[in-house]
Amino acid sequence: MKAYKKEVRFTIWMALAFVVMGNAGLFFSIFPTDAMLFGFPVTYIIPILMGWFGVFFLTIIAGKIGNRIDDEIDAEIEGGVKHD
Amino acid sequence: MTDGTWQLSNPILGLVVVALTFLLFYVVGYLSNRKAKSAKDLYLGGGNVGAFTNGLAMASTYMSLATFLGITALILNLKVPFIMLWIQLILAIPLITIIYGTSLRRMGAFTPTHFVRERYGVKASIIAALFMILVSIMYALGQMIGIAVTFETLLGIPYLTGLFVGGLIIVGYITVGGMAGATNNAAIQMVIMTLMFIVPLGAIMKAIGTEGWFFPPLLYADMVPAMLQAVPDFFDYQYPTKWYFSVIPALTIGALGLPHLAMRVYTSSSLKSARSAMVWFAFVLGLVFSATYAMGFTGVYATSVEGLNIAEGDADKLTIILNLAYNPEWVTALVIAGAISAGVSTLSGNLLAIGALLSQDIIKTLKPNIHERLNYRLSYIAIFVGGFISILLAIEPPAFLVVSILWAFGLAGVTNAPLIIVGVWWKEANKYGAMAASIVGGAIYIAVSPFVFPSLALTGHAVTDGMGLSGAMLAVPISFILLIVVSYITNRIPALQKNLTRDRDEKLVESIHGWKDVQSYRYNSTIGAFITVAISLAVAIWALLPWGM
Repeated sequence: MKAYKKEVRFTIWMALAFVVMGNAGLFFSIFPTDAMLFGFPVTYIIPILMGWFGVFFLTIIAGKIGNRIDDEIDAEIEGGVKHD
Repeated sequence: MTDGTWQLSNPILGLVVVALTFLLFYVVGYLSNRKAKSAKDLYLGGGNVGAFTNGLAMASTYMSLATFLGITALILNLKVPFIMLWIQLILAIPLITIIYGTSLRRMGAFTPTHFVRERYGVKASIIAALFMILVSIMYALGQMIGIAVTFETLLGIPYLTGLFVGGLIIVGYITVGGMAGATNNAAIQMVIMTLMFIVPLGAIMKAIGTEGWFFPPLLYADMVPAMLQAVPDFFDYQYPTKWYFSVIPALTIGALGLPHLAMRVYTSSSLKSARSAMVWFAFVLGLVFSATYAMGFTGVYATSVEGLNIAEGDADKLTIILNLAYNPEWVTALVIAGAISAGVSTLSGNLLAIGALLSQDIIKTLKPNIHERLNYRLSYIAIFVGGFISILLAIEPPAFLVVSILWAFGLAGVTNAPLIIVGVWWKEANKYGAMAASIVGGAIYIAVSPFVFPSLALTGHAVTDGMGLSGAMLAVPISFILLIVVSYITNRIPALQKNLTRDRDEKLVESIHGWKDVQSYRYNSTIGAFITVAISLAVAIWALLPWGM
């Protein structure tokens, strides 16, 4: 039960995190700003940086958690077999 | 300068560079393919590709001619909104991997439609396969247009001659190649593309006088003040929030249904390797995507501030034109080699997907006892015929090569993605729901596209409708609703129970997530299904309200 819940929660939250990270333009279309960052308008450079480094960072986290959940599912199956 | 002047004055230089590039591809393809003995080897490279190579190959398959030529053309026309649209395309492989890629790899699926067959039965899988062939052909069409434009500039020959010469050479290469060659080649192509795009861009920026020329993807802020003076609306978002939202159903979900991308996840040697490949993919693609935004920015800057004249019909050639204008000819020849690499790697992904769809998902499904050798030959024929059809469709191309590619994303999002996503995560999904979603959703998407009934298009904004943004915002949620509601109802009609395989479906769903037993509490959430329907309904209604464009 534990590993299953983790798997479902991980997939939903991670997928949402990826969608938010890759669609910062949607956020700025609702909340426009004239601020500048690194010489660019914030509404331009932040979506680009989030779409590169933000997504890259999330892939590292997603890879690590995904591998751990696989191990937990395997452990739960082995645990179940022992009890049978 | 006029239309005809944008070509290499020394075509022999270009030809030599392109010939050497192809020689490299052929040698790598031949060496890799000597080991391919079965259809599985041909498509999946034996399922034994390392994480770094596979990450590069994923990026290469994805980074098509659209990235090399198409994006810059649309940045020239639509400016920043198009960059905002493009950024989220990097989510494709990470989302495929976490939502269903590892599950389908655990199952040993050849293609996404292989999963649809196991999950929903033969009829649903053949419908899905036919739609996927259409998706792959539309995607390949964009590449073919790019290849024709590249050969046109390379040799100074008419578009049509460029299309047939370039198209046939590349289709021939892919037919001889196969996925084993393609995976290794795609990794090499990614390196060539990255170098041939970013290094010449640095030289262009240096010629223009930008201080950050040594790292083109991000260091061009010193051009911003002059750009704002010449093109005050360059950074404006221009379109309503709804336009930015529509990108999610059309392209983010659309990419989840692209057969040639998902197949890259299955070539990994293990699940852990597939997840590492996703990390490499994100890093390399982020680098190249950021460079394309810089190239598009530089293109607008060059035309508006520096007075470079690019005819309207030449927009797709922007990357090449900037090189011709600011760099020596030999650099442009290398850029053309990079563009052709981009076209070859994506086309090989598209055409191999067509081959796999036809031979594995249609012919082998209808005739399971077909001899392996004959099926293997049919794969090759399908790859060639698919390529030839995309050449014929490119004879009269749309205004921008990216349009047909992005439209294909939407079609994949409507006809394929819901079947896979819901099929992997909800045991109740059944064949009636799948067929209703695929057929009705697909028909609505095609009907509201400007290509069939222009009067039914939802926004009247040619590029938005043409790219499938408006159509997908309506049809993708309808497809999810139909799949869930029809499955839920038909599962409760006693007369239909004999046609359904509920026990088998439950075992399959559990096993692809790694479980060895079946538990009723797993992957069976009615609340989850209800929330999905409610959100989908809201999105579909929003799509039908005025767009204000």
